[in-house]
Amino acid sequence: MSDDEVEFITPPNKLQSKVTMSAGGVDPATLARAEAVIASLQGNYLQWVEDDLTNLQGAYERAMSDPSNRRVHISEIFRIAHDVKGQGGSFGYQLMTVIATYLCRMVEKIENPGPEHMAVIKLHIDALRLVITQRMEGTGGAAGESLVKGLEAVIGKISR
Amino acid sequence: MIGFDGAALKALVVEDNPNFSLLIRSVLLAIGVRSIEEATDGAAALNGMKTVTPDLVIVDWRMVPMNGVDFAKQVRVGPDSPNPFVPIIMVSGYTEPSLVAAARDVGVNEFMAKPISARILTARIESVFLRPRPFVRAHSYFGPDRRRKRVPRAGEERRLQQEPVIYPGIFPMNTRP
Repeated sequence: MSDDEVEFITPPNKLQSKVTMSAGGVDPATLARAEAVIASLQGNYLQWVEDDLTNLQGAYERAMSDPSNRRVHISEIFRIAHDVKGQGGSFGYQLMTVIATYLCRMVEKIENPGPEHMAVIKLHIDALRLVITQRMEGTGGAAGESLVKGLEAVIGKISR
Repeated sequence: MIGFDGAALKALVVEDNPNFSLLIRSVLLAIGVRSIEEATDGAAALNGMKTVTPDLVIVDWRMVPMNGVDFAKQVRVGPDSPNPFVPIIMVSGYTEPSLVAAARDVGVNEFMAKPISARILTARIESVFLRPRPFVRAHSYFGPDRRRKRVPRAGEERRLQQEPVIYPGIFPMNTRP
């Protein structure tokens, strides 16, 4: 095949015999059942996120007590925060996704982690903890909005 | 029929985080998919595909030792791929356009950003089954047609003006891209 050639292929469609789907796709009742199943997992989520918050706090404390390996510990903070970001919204805790997204973005940009960065990381971890402790579902209403604005202001300060 | 009947469908979920894996599996079960296999990284999934023969793969991006993009590349063009045509839906918390483009360029059918919902996951599954795209084989790409819309393009049209080739089964070895 030359660099310029493009060939179209219709793949073998073994699925036609296995899957039937109307033009409208999954019907509303089935979709509602699937959403109800996810909602029923919210209790599990609250247990999982407790583990994530404990691990976040642990990684933060190691980053503080072991500054020579701070980058390694901050990478771990990023990894856990990334999981928190990905899960919160699925289980009705969109505010967890928002705050964890801020934490991930901030951590990604840190070149030389200093005390000011560690302080802001701690604020985010505390905010995540607050959301779960207070069961601030969804976007957290006025309290959630205030929390997010506060974090944005602090991030703005260290970004200058 | 109205809706979706996926009782005979075999799905493979490739996800290293057990919580995400449970979430995806729960949605699949709720919409009627009965056969769901799981793997925790791309290498294990490739190995599993030799015996499981999934009809649909849902794969996370970030995994070790083999991530989702490398897995998708191996499925599409690897010499030992069990099924280069299998639909692949990629799930990721990374949504930067360059990363989405990277997934597209290794032949991923659909991309889904975390956090996922039942509505989004079923929409991606619907897209795979209701709007299947022909595959394209080019010098540097093999996978679903990346042009979802027929829009006029600037410059010379590089695509051959031909009818699609219909393969009756899995790739013959000597025609593998």
